Amino acid sequence: MGKFSSFISGILVPLVFLLSSCQNKNQVVVYTSVDQVFSEPVLKDFEIKTGIRVRAVYDTEETKSTGVMNRLIAEKDNPQCDVFWSGDPVRNGVLQSKGITFPFQSVQTNLIGEAFKDPENHWIGFSARARVLIYNKNMTSSDSLPKSVLDFSNPSYRGQFTIANPLFGTTTFHLAAIFTLLGDEKAKYWMDSIKQNGVIIAASNGDVKRKVMNGEIAFGLTDTDDAFEAMKESDAVGFVFIDLEETGIGTLIMPNAVSLIKGAPHSENAKKLIDYLISQETESKLAVSCAQMPLIAGVKVPENVPSLENIRPMKIDYKSVSGKLEDIQPWLKSWLEK
Amino acid sequence: MPAILLTTLVAPLAFLITDWFTQTDKSALFAFLNRTTLLLIGKSLLMAGLSAFFATLAGGLCSFFLHKLSFKWNRFYKIALVMPLLISPYIFAVAWNGGLHLVLGNDASIFSSAGVVLVHSLVFLPLAFIIIGSALSQINATYEEAGLMLVSFKKMLVRIILPLVKPAILISFLLVMIFSLSDFSVPAYFGVQTFTTEIFTQFSALYNFPLAIGQSVLLLTICFAIMFSEAKYLSDSPFFTISLKGNTSKKYSINRGKGFLHLWFWFLLFISLVLPVVLLTIQSSAGNWLIIKKAWQLLEPTFGYSLGLAFTGTVIITLSALWIAYTARVYNSKLPNSLMMIIFVVPSTVSGISLIRFYNHPSLAFVYGSFLIILLAYLGRFGFIASRIIANGLKQIPESLMEAALLAGASPVKIFFSITIPLLIPSLLATFILSFILCWGELGVVIMVYPPGAELMNIKTFTISANAPLALTSTMTLLNLCITCLLIAMFLLTGRVLFKKYSYAFY
Repeated sequence: MGKFSSFISGILVPLVFLLSSCQNKNQVVVYTSVDQVFSEPVLKDFEIKTGIRVRAVYDTEETKSTGVMNRLIAEKDNPQCDVFWSGDPVRNGVLQSKGITFPFQSVQTNLIGEAFKDPENHWIGFSARARVLIYNKNMTSSDSLPKSVLDFSNPSYRGQFTIANPLFGTTTFHLAAIFTLLGDEKAKYWMDSIKQNGVIIAASNGDVKRKVMNGEIAFGLTDTDDAFEAMKESDAVGFVFIDLEETGIGTLIMPNAVSLIKGAPHSENAKKLIDYLISQETESKLAVSCAQMPLIAGVKVPENVPSLENIRPMKIDYKSVSGKLEDIQPWLKSWLEK
Repeated sequence: MPAILLTTLVAPLAFLITDWFTQTDKSALFAFLNRTTLLLIGKSLLMAGLSAFFATLAGGLCSFFLHKLSFKWNRFYKIALVMPLLISPYIFAVAWNGGLHLVLGNDASIFSSAGVVLVHSLVFLPLAFIIIGSALSQINATYEEAGLMLVSFKKMLVRIILPLVKPAILISFLLVMIFSLSDFSVPAYFGVQTFTTEIFTQFSALYNFPLAIGQSVLLLTICFAIMFSEAKYLSDSPFFTISLKGNTSKKYSINRGKGFLHLWFWFLLFISLVLPVVLLTIQSSAGNWLIIKKAWQLLEPTFGYSLGLAFTGTVIITLSALWIAYTARVYNSKLPNSLMMIIFVVPSTVSGISLIRFYNHPSLAFVYGSFLIILLAYLGRFGFIASRIIANGLKQIPESLMEAALLAGASPVKIFFSITIPLLIPSLLATFILSFILCWGELGVVIMVYPPGAELMNIKTFTISANAPLALTSTMTLLNLCITCLLIAMFLLTGRVLFKKYSYAFY
């Protein structure tokens, strides 16, 4: 048996060495938490257009991006990834605070407004989603829905609405933005009020979509891409923007965010990919596939895609929201466990 | 072998724990040891214990009915009851949620600790059924017949059969408890806080690695204590084999209660197999025929790589398990088994991080950047269960056969290949099939370590499911299920050929 295992290892180890040394150097490694159904076609197009092989690791917001985030943090001392493409800037902010990202600026990144990128260019935003209310038409009408998230504490909505787990994803981001705008005391009071008003906590935004689609609950807070997917699947589902009033807190806009990884093994190709992502072409594709709103002027979009001009965006500084998020996480955890 | 296991699988874990112990601020090192944590552990242990109790009770009853009583459709029930092993716990949770809403118009009751216990009991019932069933089928009929000559059937059941299968019942209970304790997906979906979801939250929401690793070490200690008791007191008891050697197991005919038995099995099959599959089919049929084409187009590029990896992983696991079990039997070497047990009880996120931290080094890029890292993950996750199945198969082989061969002048190698291996074929086949099912469906560690650009079927189904239409993801899940069933059928047919070829060894 000893001879047999020596024989196997004698064959296998050199073979693996050979295979790893033969790997194509013209490649780029991207980790993404953007749903594969939307991100993969964009990456394939980049591959076709440039001839650079894209090696992707996919994860989903549904799994709280555990795979890619924990992997990026664990790989810090010997990075394998070149580009991190996230569905919102919060995760990039976490990586920035841990020294995992590297600033990058180019002609393309200059196309993005200052509000949608990190001041030091550790992450650059493109194609945005918004937080919306998704509702089941058989259970309620658009007129009866709350006009603001702050109305969730209204007793007339008791037990009729759902939000995703506030510790993860865009829901945490939304809550951190609300805490930044209202201040901790008012925001905590509001959170306690909605808890008393019977908010249902869903496992994820996708779960919010499922619950509303199935008629398990009247309405819920989710992202535009989930809302559009739900409408494709079911005629019983509709969505509305919230917090549009002049006096209101505004609608949360969440751009995709892309970061160059510090010590990226294929940094030149990484820069090419980042430039490709921050382009009219990509924004147009994301508008078609998941109704994301372009941030670059002049991008052609289908009629059903809302325009940023028609929305009153929440006035926030993404960096301070990221900071607030880290502050409030322990409180949100205790709120959830109450 | 111990050296290989130590360097490839135990070293990453030791490296991570040492790193945690030396790098973390000493005042924060044991910050997780507080009243809240202890209460949460108590609650998690209670839930896992209840799940293990119900799964073992129901699995034990099914085993008794199907292995000791003869009635129509017996073989069908035996196969059908194992099928839920192919469905992930998460799919169960979603199916039950949908099913309750469909029937009652309300699913609130499932979003509770009771809901988690219910789903875990159903999900792990097949495991209990296999373990206890195989022990029941090994009972020599002469014991039962001797007992029946002296006492009533009920007394014989309590005094002879029950003591003989007691180790299997205990092992079933402990294994289900470990699986239930370390599952994250079901409690997370139902919004129930357990110790595992707490660790996950620390990793994924708060990125507090030191605290999460500290909590994981505590979970690891608990699981290890549970498994250590199993290893110390029960490892010599046969519990898991499909061997037919010397099988003279007695079956009893029944005249009354057949209707009740059919009702019981159909009820179980409905809630554990029919309901999830029907719901997936309903969701799938919301699309049109093109959805099947689209689902296949998405899965087809992943098929070859996934099959190759799962197959290679299974072969490695089976060979390693054979080695571990054989050396334990012949040389009384218990270290490899203990090492596999330690790796087995590590939570998947910790396991993934330890593999990354250890292997992500330029000199080890050929492991970290290739399929080898996935094979290591498979071996770490499932090597222990495989080695236990084979070890118990080995215990069924009478020592006298080897001694006779030795007296006849056969060399140890000749004895190994001409006696041990043919007699072990049923156990090897069981190990192979179970390992294949587990490797094919493994997600927890593999999602953290799979090489960039690699496409695995279960990971693709999972990542696509986040925002794709429900009809598409349900179709992908059903296709995955069908492919798994086909592959297992192929393995069973191959096994049948082997059984025929080496039939002299079984009768």
